This record gives sequence, C-alpha cells and structure tokens, in this order.
Amino acid sequence: MSVASNVTEKAFVDRRTRDWEELDALTRKAHATRLRKLSSHEVARLPPLYRNVCADLAASQVARYSAPLVDYLRGLTASAHTLLYAPAGLSVRSTPQGMWRALRRGWFVSFPRAVRARWRSMTLAAGLFFIPLAIGAWLTLRDPAFAFRVTPEAMLRQLTEAYTHGFDAGRGAGESVMMAGFYINNNVGIALRCFALGVFGGLGSAFYLVQNGITIGATLGYVTSQGAGMNILTFIVGHSSLELGAIVLAGGSGLSLGWSVVSPGDRTRLASLQKRAREIIVIVFGAAAMLLMAAGIEGFWSASSAPRTVKFAVGTVLFVLVALYVTLAGRRSDDNGEGAR
Amino acid sequence: MDADVAVESPEHIVFRYRIAGPARRCVAHVIDWFVYSTALAVLVLVMIFAMAGARGQGVSGFVAEASGGLLLVAVFATQWLYFVAWEATLGRSPGKMVVGLRVVTTEGRPIGLKAAALRNFLRAADALPTAYIAGVICMAMTSRFQRLGDLVAATMVVVPEHAAKAAALDLVPPAYPHELATLPEDISLDEDERAAIELFLRRRRGLGPARANELAAMIAGPIGERIGFRHPDPARLLALVYDRAVNAGRTDAPASLRSFSLPPPPPMQQAR
Repeated sequence: MSVASNVTEKAFVDRRTRDWEELDALTRKAHATRLRKLSSHEVARLPPLYRNVCADLAASQVARYSAPLVDYLRGLTASAHTLLYAPAGLSVRSTPQGMWRALRRGWFVSFPRAVRARWRSMTLAAGLFFIPLAIGAWLTLRDPAFAFRVTPEAMLRQLTEAYTHGFDAGRGAGESVMMAGFYINNNVGIALRCFALGVFGGLGSAFYLVQNGITIGATLGYVTSQGAGMNILTFIVGHSSLELGAIVLAGGSGLSLGWSVVSPGDRTRLASLQKRAREIIVIVFGAAAMLLMAAGIEGFWSASSAPRTVKFAVGTVLFVLVALYVTLAGRRSDDNGEGAR
Repeated sequence: MDADVAVESPEHIVFRYRIAGPARRCVAHVIDWFVYSTALAVLVLVMIFAMAGARGQGVSGFVAEASGGLLLVAVFATQWLYFVAWEATLGRSPGKMVVGLRVVTTEGRPIGLKAAALRNFLRAADALPTAYIAGVICMAMTSRFQRLGDLVAATMVVVPEHAAKAAALDLVPPAYPHELATLPEDISLDEDERAAIELFLRRRRGLGPARANELAAMIAGPIGERIGFRHPDPARLLALVYDRAVNAGRTDAPASLRSFSLPPPPPMQQAR
C-alpha cells in the first residue's frame, strides 16, 4: 500500500505536536472553567489552532496514519468544536445587556407572537379547560355532593370555612410568603407538567386541562353553594386572569407539541416535533413568568384586607392587560417574527 | 451499551461521539439527586437555626412561615430549574461532570437555554409511569440513546473522549542490512492486516515474549509467504513489513530505508 508523497507518521507528529498540545491545554482549561475566563490572547488563538488541527485530522485520515493518532486528533477537534460553536442567543457568554435585551424581546415580542401563531391550539386548550370548569361548577351547584367526587371532602370543607370568614383580617406577612412559595411550586409545576405530557400526542395536556378545569369548577361551585361565593370570587379575581391564562397557554403548548407529531406535514414526525418544540418553548417560559406574577398577587394581594371594589377593579384591569397583551403585544416591531432564536 | 455517532462539522470534519448509555446516565442522575438533596437539607438546617434564633422575639411566626415558603420555592427550583441552569450554562450537571458526560445537540454543538429547558421539562414525561420507565424505553428505541426530552430538544448525551496521545510507531531497532536484502520494495497490506499488525505492535510490550511470538506467528506466516519474505522472528517480521508498507513512499525516509551505521547485529534470538 503505497501512499502518495506524505511524511511518515513520526515526522508528522514531531512537526505538528506543538499546536496539538496548545489546543489541548486551551480546551481543557476552557472546559474546566469557562470560555470567559480565558485571556483575550488565548481566545484569539483558539480558532486558528482549531482550523489547523482540523486540517491535521483530515491529512492524517488521508495518509492513513495509525488509529490512535487519528483518535487523538478526533478527540481534540471534537472538544474544541464543542467550545467554538456555541448557540446563539442567551448563553453565559453574552453580556448582561445582551441577556436583558433578549429577555425583554422574549416577553414583549416573541411570547405574544408565538401565542397568536398557535391560536388554534390555544383556543382548543381554553375550551378543554373552561368547558369542564363550567360543567363542574354547574353540576356542583345543582348537587354540592358532586364536588366530593373530584376533590377530597375534608379539603373542600376547610376551604369553605376559610372563605366564609372573608378577608377583613388580611393575611400575615409570613403566611403571604408561604402561600406565594406554595403557589410557585404547585402552579408552575402543574403548568410545566401540563406542557411536557403533551408529547404523547397532546393527550397528557388534554387530560390535565380537563382535570384541572373540573376540579376548579367544582371547588368554585361548592364554595358558592355554601354561601361564600362572593368571597371566593373576590379572592380569585386578582390573579385568575394570569393564573388560568397561563395554565391554558401551557396546556395549549402541550397540545400543539402533540399535534406536531400527529400531523407532521412535509417533515418527518421527529423533525416536526423538534421544530415545534423550539417555536413553542417561549410560550412555556412566558406562562411560567405569568404564574410567578400570579403567585405574587395571590400570595400578597388576593387575601389582603383591601376593599372588595378595589380588588374587582384591579382584577378587571389585569384581565384587560392580559387580553391586550396576548392580542396586541409585539405586532409592531421592526424585526421579523422569528423571535429570539 | 455504548455506541458511536458521527457528526459532521462545518469544516467537513467528521467527529465520532461516544453516546452515553442508560447506566452512566443513571449514575449521573443519582449523583445529581444527592447534590440537590444535600442543598435542600442544608437550607432546612439554616432555617431551623433561624427559627431557633427568632424564638421569643415576636417574629418567630413570620420566620417559620416565610421559611416554609422559601423551602417550597427551593423544592420547585431543584425539581425544574436545577438541570436547566447547569446544562444551559456549562452543558453538564454536576452529576454528569463527575461521570464525565456532556449534553450536546445532535449536531454536536453545545446546547442553549431552549434545548436545556426542553429536555429537562420533558423529564415529567420521561419519568412516567415511575422511575424513568418511559425514558428508558425511548432510549432503547433510538440509536442515540435519546429519552423523550432528548428527542424533543434534539440533544444527546455523549462521553467526551480525550484520547491520550500515542507515540507514532517506529521501527526499533532500524532494519539491519541482512533484513533489507530480502525485504521487498513494495508491500501492500489490506486494512484488516494493517490494523491487526498495528494493534499487535502497540501491545507487544505488555505481552510476554513467548506469547508475543505465538500471536505474531499466526499472521506472520501467511503474510511472509504471500510477499516472499522470511525472518526467524515473527514479531520482527511484522514490524519490518508494517514499516515498509506504511512508510514506503513518504517524503522523509522510512526507518527501513534509512542509511544505517550501527554495530553488526547481535545474534538473532531464537524465539523457540
């Protein structure tokens, strides 16, 4: 097996080994700490070294040098490649200003646009949530015992007890913090699960939406049937637009994710799923942000001793804001609708 | 249970990544579980101290309730944000760091926030019905051992390999004149023969001389016969043939063609 004029492996290694060792040392350092910690000189050295080692790898493959050498160069190029080809957008490498800009753009432009682009899924999700909610409330108002089928009786009685007292006493600061923490853990968790289980053809999301709808409807119906309807309405009016809206958006994202597998169009099912997931994750982030706000309102405001009229006014304003935001935000932006990639 | 996957870079260089199997990833996950459980335990300890410190100062109720709220937030963070934060920034969680794993996209690039969020939010689906059974089934069905989260985010977990640099094979000692006299000018070895001889030459030092000769004899006979070259020491025969086949025609002269001025050869050791 004669190879066209090429140096021997030994001569090749002797000649090139300095570059390899330099790149090796740099990549190890960068992987161990972070790229940011490298000096500007070291960063500037990376691309030329990487290109040279790529060329060496190609040359050693063509010259059919021994497997350990080729493996070594492969490992070297692979780890440098991981370092050099970072994703665009939010990453540790971007500046605080860049991250702030991406965050603002995500919230005011990409998120509402993505919601509107998936309006069918979102409408379906709203239906799957609010229709069971209405049915649950109606059934419970007709026969309060229905609520016990979907929610533990003890919990319902305790809840009713709490709402009967009204909010004149307000809520202590400590309890507010505790409840806000509880809402974050519980509600954001539900929303993320509701989205994730959409991967099974949307069935998981549909199940969660319907289940939550019925439970919430039955709870509202039961508390109302026990005569504390006005109180619970006063309680939920502040945060419900954000909280229920976010659950619907998360569920709708899950439905959309599932539908991308069921009906992939021109793509393979996997490619369709991956593309949709990338487009839709911003809605999940947005829904999580909405739930964080809702948790703050629910923890610190909804049970406060503020007058009922003020609470209703604030609730209405928030509802209008959420509706305007979802329908109008990000329509007039100079960039195209691709969102922060 | 590990496999390779080829990835082509923009430079048209093909990398092979070793894909991490379920076993390694399970170990990494257990380590991560220990890490965040320990963090939670430390937080609880701090809170207990805070409550003890606040006792009898009129704020004990507030401290207890606020601690409960913070603890719930911390539980949420460990469940949903721990992996996302680590993987979006460093490409690996502490558990993966210990085991030596890295999450990359199926194109071999580092993952960003979106991919990290997708693959870790989808844990809720992978963990169904319990103990990641859905995820393991999914891994068994995909060539890159991807769980559902990996499929959705187009990521894979690899074992970054830093192969140690191996010295180039050299003919030691260089060929003696009497060996050169009969060694053919042009020797051609096929891929398998070449790989086998190369592996043998690299491993020779670790083998006993008797075993080395026994192994070398298995292939030295047929090859020597084919190219018409005889040598009393089969291992030496392979080394000579390999050097000539691989290095003949290279621009700097292979050792078997190098001018030679050493003391006369020692008496050839008889292997048998």
